[in-house]
Amino acid sequence: MKPMLSTDLNAPDTTVEKAKIEVKNLNFYYGQSKALKDINLSLPERSVTAFIGPSGCGKSTLLRVLNRIYELYPKQSAEGQVLLDGKNILDRSQDLNLLRTKIGMVFQKPTPFPMSIYENIAFGVRLYEKISKAEMDSRVEQALKRAALWNEVKDKLNASGLSLSGGQQQRLCIARTVAVKPEVILLDEPASALDPLSTAKIEELIDELQADYTIVIVTHNMQQAARVSRQTAFMYLGELVEFDRTEKIFTSPREKRTQDYITGRFG
Amino acid sequence: MAEHTVASFDEDLRQISRLINDMGDLAASMVGASARALLETDNALAQRVVSDDAIMDARQRELDDRAITLIAKRQPMADDLRHVVGSIRMAGDLERIGDLAKNIAKRVGSVGVSAAPRDLTHSIDSMAQLVLIQVQAVIQEYTVGDATALAKLRNDDERIDVKYTSVFRELLTYMMEDPRNITACTHLLFCAKNLERIGDHVTNIAENAYYVLTGTQLPANRPKQDEMSAPAA
Repeated sequence: MKPMLSTDLNAPDTTVEKAKIEVKNLNFYYGQSKALKDINLSLPERSVTAFIGPSGCGKSTLLRVLNRIYELYPKQSAEGQVLLDGKNILDRSQDLNLLRTKIGMVFQKPTPFPMSIYENIAFGVRLYEKISKAEMDSRVEQALKRAALWNEVKDKLNASGLSLSGGQQQRLCIARTVAVKPEVILLDEPASALDPLSTAKIEELIDELQADYTIVIVTHNMQQAARVSRQTAFMYLGELVEFDRTEKIFTSPREKRTQDYITGRFG
Repeated sequence: MAEHTVASFDEDLRQISRLINDMGDLAASMVGASARALLETDNALAQRVVSDDAIMDARQRELDDRAITLIAKRQPMADDLRHVVGSIRMAGDLERIGDLAKNIAKRVGSVGVSAAPRDLTHSIDSMAQLVLIQVQAVIQEYTVGDATALAKLRNDDERIDVKYTSVFRELLTYMMEDPRNITACTHLLFCAKNLERIGDHVTNIAENAYYVLTGTQLPANRPKQDEMSAPAA
């Protein structure tokens, strides 16, 4: 059965939204082993979608297909279609650099470059655009403000990015992603290495960013998925088991496997 | 339902279920005893109902504590979440049933000393039987997980409402016939109203229990013909 947003009386979803990303009949292989099985999924524009599921269920793999970052590794291949605004990004003719300016990604561990806070942001922008120093200053400031980091670092922009705390480093990575003006932001466990306060700041940030970006977040923290996302996909053993509005998934999921997983009865 | 990976989570949920069961049993016993005390003018039994209400209140507080601690510690999801939140609400209704039974029990003395003819209480007796069956059934159906029976039980409250209307008319007639009946009949009228309210709380419990079991709400409207509800409210 093709998963779709529920339309039953108890979970009315009357808003018809434009899909930013549509995944169609997607299969993914690590060598011979099939890691994603016939995934069909539609991610609405300017909203947060969470992928949840136990380790090895394919949620990070699916995220990594969305910007083709898996191609950095040998023997990995994807079949099917991933349409970004209707255009298949898995197509050979897709320019990968262009794709990754449109689809930014933030990883589990903060990955600041070993350079100044300012350069951490300017570096990516310079790859794609030639802009004046004044424009760059403004772009860096905007990105840091967008990532709710500006007030904490505005007086030490030349300090190393590595001198920041873990939570600040992660927000720096988000600022770096936002600075190149992407359309989609992929977050792979963005808060799992952070303390509760930093996690709260990241979640607040996600809430603000969804006004302008389509966000996909992979998380092991179900309360986090319940808090930040509007729709949730539950994956298990490479299959998309259930995809629905988040409140439906966490209060009365349709599938027993979803229920067992989110209530802690698995295995 | 499979067990949780964390076994103590199951135990926490079981304790909440046990408290709901205890409160359900206590509510049924209080309703039955208060009706009997009223019909037989049994002051000692009435006194027992009054003291049982303190036990009911204590059970509800214990359930609240356990439920809130469970939410804080376990962050329950899906059916677990519905179970915990539903239990808090059901406990509230059961506690109210206890209060209403106590109120009936407290009137036993007043009705008993007045010169009320026996047949005044006859209709109250059959109404109390209807209510008692509902109270006993609702927790039982919840415990065995029969959502269909709960939906039916909720609709059966209609019969109590109809009965209340007829008791109301009957008592009114007695009062008009002989003003000396007014004191007893007024107390009995309050008792009948209390029984009718108990039926409404059973309805709430059935609706909550249905949601806990199925994850879906029963339709908001159920058949209702309580034509006397306006004047008797």
